[in-house]
Amino acid sequence: MPDLLEQLQSLRATERRVAMATLVGARGGSPRPLGAKLFVGEGEGGRLVGSVSIGGCVDARVVEHGERLLREDRAERVTVVVDDTEALELGLACGAEFDMLIEPVRLDVADAAISAYERAILAARGGRTAFVVTRLEGSRVLRDVRDEPQGAPDDSAFVERFAPPETLVLVGASDVGAALARLARTLGFRVVVVDGRDRYATRERFASADEIRVGMPSDVVRPFLTDGAYLVLASHEYKYELPILRDALRRPLRFVGMLAGRKRAASVRGLLSEDGLSDDEIARLHAPIGLDIGGREPEEIALSIAAQLIAVREGKPIARRA
Amino acid sequence: MYSGIVLEHFRRPRNHRALEAPTAAHEANNPLCGDRVRVEIRVEDGVVREAAFTANACAVCTASASMLTERVIGLSAQDAARLGGDDALAALETPLPAARVACATLPLRALHGALAQRSVTV
Repeated sequence: MPDLLEQLQSLRATERRVAMATLVGARGGSPRPLGAKLFVGEGEGGRLVGSVSIGGCVDARVVEHGERLLREDRAERVTVVVDDTEALELGLACGAEFDMLIEPVRLDVADAAISAYERAILAARGGRTAFVVTRLEGSRVLRDVRDEPQGAPDDSAFVERFAPPETLVLVGASDVGAALARLARTLGFRVVVVDGRDRYATRERFASADEIRVGMPSDVVRPFLTDGAYLVLASHEYKYELPILRDALRRPLRFVGMLAGRKRAASVRGLLSEDGLSDDEIARLHAPIGLDIGGREPEEIALSIAAQLIAVREGKPIARRA
Repeated sequence: MYSGIVLEHFRRPRNHRALEAPTAAHEANNPLCGDRVRVEIRVEDGVVREAAFTANACAVCTASASMLTERVIGLSAQDAARLGGDDALAALETPLPAARVACATLPLRALHGALAQRSVTV
């Protein structure tokens, strides 16, 4: 999930004014979730940042509408239709309709729309869910930020939810850990790196991590093992794995995975059983971790783990390795 | 292969807990392998009344910490401070390759750190 604040920061380097297209409705399926955004810079050389579909004709048409609405300096709800014939040419399974709210926004001065999103995102980063409620009245866009979503369903309003990011607690500042931290951050996780070795767990190796903690790993991770957190043990060190797993498998974490081959994973499960963990608790451990895509390099292993984290987040059965 | 005593103390470490009221504590770590051991002691009237440890450490290091805490309870702080690396290695009853000696002596470093802290603060 693209980081909206990072996209805006990047745009501000070159653009004074952009058209912001937000996907507010879809019929027939959509490759992007509602709320997806595409920013269209002014003029032929204006930058394009983000997307409201997987590219191709839909985004191209939105760019054209964006350029037009920038010239006209007004907002509009636009419907882009991909009919069945066109869908076949595009290789899509069926036709679809996409509704976009496209509006000019300023980047060089204070802008109400941008300000609303910044407030919501900062609230979410601070641990509080926020909702941006948008209404189009004529060619005017009205937008406000709330702590609660709309009470009754209302077709005239589009509500975007900004929840605190899910936390990935990554134990083991190895090369696999470093590659996974980069990927997970890109995927929208708040990444906390934990290790007992300060020579490995450095800002240089984990430039994008939100937090880096060095200390006794089983003590350091404890405050981060909260409801719904994801825990990845990438240390390949039983000295860290056993004390952490004894605690973590008894907590309501969303995911607990460990980098290990099948034989080693079986040994760790045996030791945990001797330590008194129940079969149900031990069954919560994903080990070997990652989807079986056959990679051996750190980046490849990290990709297989990241893919599993996405599957867990989306509730896909593939999340549990056979 | 490790001696039975190493595996026994690794799987069932003695004094593996935090003390309720330690008079001194020190955490030692090996920056390369990542072993970490925290030793806590309660010294009264110059005698080590309680000693305990917590660790994220390998079997050798954990067993060494377990045996060390057993050994120092009841010793005078001065005698405890005199314990050396050879004492820690001998307790393991198993020859260690040079690369693993630091694992066995790490708990001793933590103990010495705690005893030194006590001598400064008391």
